[in-house]
Amino acid sequence: MDHSTSKSCTNANHDDKSLLHWTQWQLLDSVLPTGGFPHSFGLESALQSNLIKQPEDLKPFIIQVLDNTGSLLLPFVHTLNKSPDTETWTCLDNLLEATLTNEIARKASATQGSALLRVAASVFREITELKLIRERFIGSGLVFFHHACVFGLLTGLLGFDGRMAQRAYIFMTMRDVLSAATRLNVVGPIAASVLQHEIASAAEGIVEKWRDRNVEDACQTNPLLDTVQGCHAYLFSRLFCS
Amino acid sequence: MAETETETTSGVVTVEKVRGRSTITRCFFKYPLKLILPKKVGSSQVDAVWIYALSYGGGIVSGDQISCKISVGDGCTASFTTQASTKVYKSVDSKCSEQVLEAIIGNEAFLALIPDPVTCFSTARYSQKQNFRIFSCSNLVVVDWITSGRYQSGERWDFTSYKSTNCIYLDNDRPIFIDSVLLEQSLVCDIAERMQCYQVIAMVILLGPKLKNLQNQIKEVVKKMMTVKLRPPTTNFGRYAKSEAQHDRFVPDLIASCSTFGPQGIGSVIRVTATTTEAVYAFLRTHLSSLEMFLGAPPYCQSGI
Repeated sequence: MDHSTSKSCTNANHDDKSLLHWTQWQLLDSVLPTGGFPHSFGLESALQSNLIKQPEDLKPFIIQVLDNTGSLLLPFVHTLNKSPDTETWTCLDNLLEATLTNEIARKASATQGSALLRVAASVFREITELKLIRERFIGSGLVFFHHACVFGLLTGLLGFDGRMAQRAYIFMTMRDVLSAATRLNVVGPIAASVLQHEIASAAEGIVEKWRDRNVEDACQTNPLLDTVQGCHAYLFSRLFCS
Repeated sequence: MAETETETTSGVVTVEKVRGRSTITRCFFKYPLKLILPKKVGSSQVDAVWIYALSYGGGIVSGDQISCKISVGDGCTASFTTQASTKVYKSVDSKCSEQVLEAIIGNEAFLALIPDPVTCFSTARYSQKQNFRIFSCSNLVVVDWITSGRYQSGERWDFTSYKSTNCIYLDNDRPIFIDSVLLEQSLVCDIAERMQCYQVIAMVILLGPKLKNLQNQIKEVVKKMMTVKLRPPTTNFGRYAKSEAQHDRFVPDLIASCSTFGPQGIGSVIRVTATTTEAVYAFLRTHLSSLEMFLGAPPYCQSGI
């Protein structure tokens, strides 16, 4: 091997922008060990309420979940992505705790957020704030580690731009609901992938509609699904936590 | 408590203890709000005052702005309700009607906000905001609900926009419950599609030491009721589904769920949705009947029958 080739393989001289792509893909890859997908976003409850009767009902359900995620959670992702500091994070995390009035969704958010912070602190070691924040606040009772807030903070510290961070949040939600749908046998894996592609356009529309808003404007757009998701704990037999 | 009143303040009610009884010491109202303070709503054995809010012409007209402040002093009990459902008429020139309520509930005080539902007519635009400032021993009951419109006439979720925000702050500035529901026609999904066959959506908040027993009771009742209504699909769903078997199962006429909120779970929020308004009136009448001991009369007994 000649000298120049071996040098270019090991030289960490790639620009930050290129490396950011690798970070983004890793964060969105379902292989990242953030808890094994125990959440169905109310899908399991909707199935048992017979609100979803056939595979065709899945597409509008997912779009409605994404719309509600956009209206309720993107403001938190956006604000923390812009200001990824401890003070903003603790304030918004407590606000989100008050905003997630659905107990099922609230607990799921805290579980997912804790898992994400744990993984992120281990993986992105060069961002020392992550480890420091985790050590400072874990077990303190001062914060709840809500998922949208951790995600906003993380993307802010990693240098994602706001639009990308918000689009990524909607993407992850879509990915996870589809994954739950295949495990609940609503659709098969190929049909789920077809749906994912079909929904992309609506999902981008949802990002455009709800992005860059203040947390004071956070709202929920689907009280029926909220009510149904709240029934999750009453399901006699269930596969998912939420 | 000093209250800033502006030109837009439509109503002010102050409840304080006078000679040991909850008494309305101040009551101001102006168009488009009217307040009525009947003396004999509840049993005289129970210390509580009742306030009825009415709108002129039986409804809220496009562009109406109504703001009201209620102050319930330490140890006092007040019930704030309506005579009939609040109708919101169609929007003219895209104007939005708005109602704002600011309430302060003192220590060991009790406020029950138990109105009839809001009904928005076709093309209406409406927004309401309710802020409650409480202390750790305050007691609060809030019922906030909306029907799909004049659904017997075929107007189902036909309004343009409805927004309802309820915020509870503990010890002045700590938010413990922030809920904002926005129902707006959109390209993503119109409201009727979102709400499926359901015509009413309601939220009940119960908070405070006097309501602990009722909170626990309702939690158990809702759990029992819903456990029966929810069952896993019996056949293989999806790819292998026998479509008839799945279609045989109907959606529940009423769905309810209960969540706790706040530090040490001081509050509970119950969400209910049903295919008829009567079903929700019956739910409220049944499950809030024990409030009679605090309010002097059970909520919703004259309504919706």
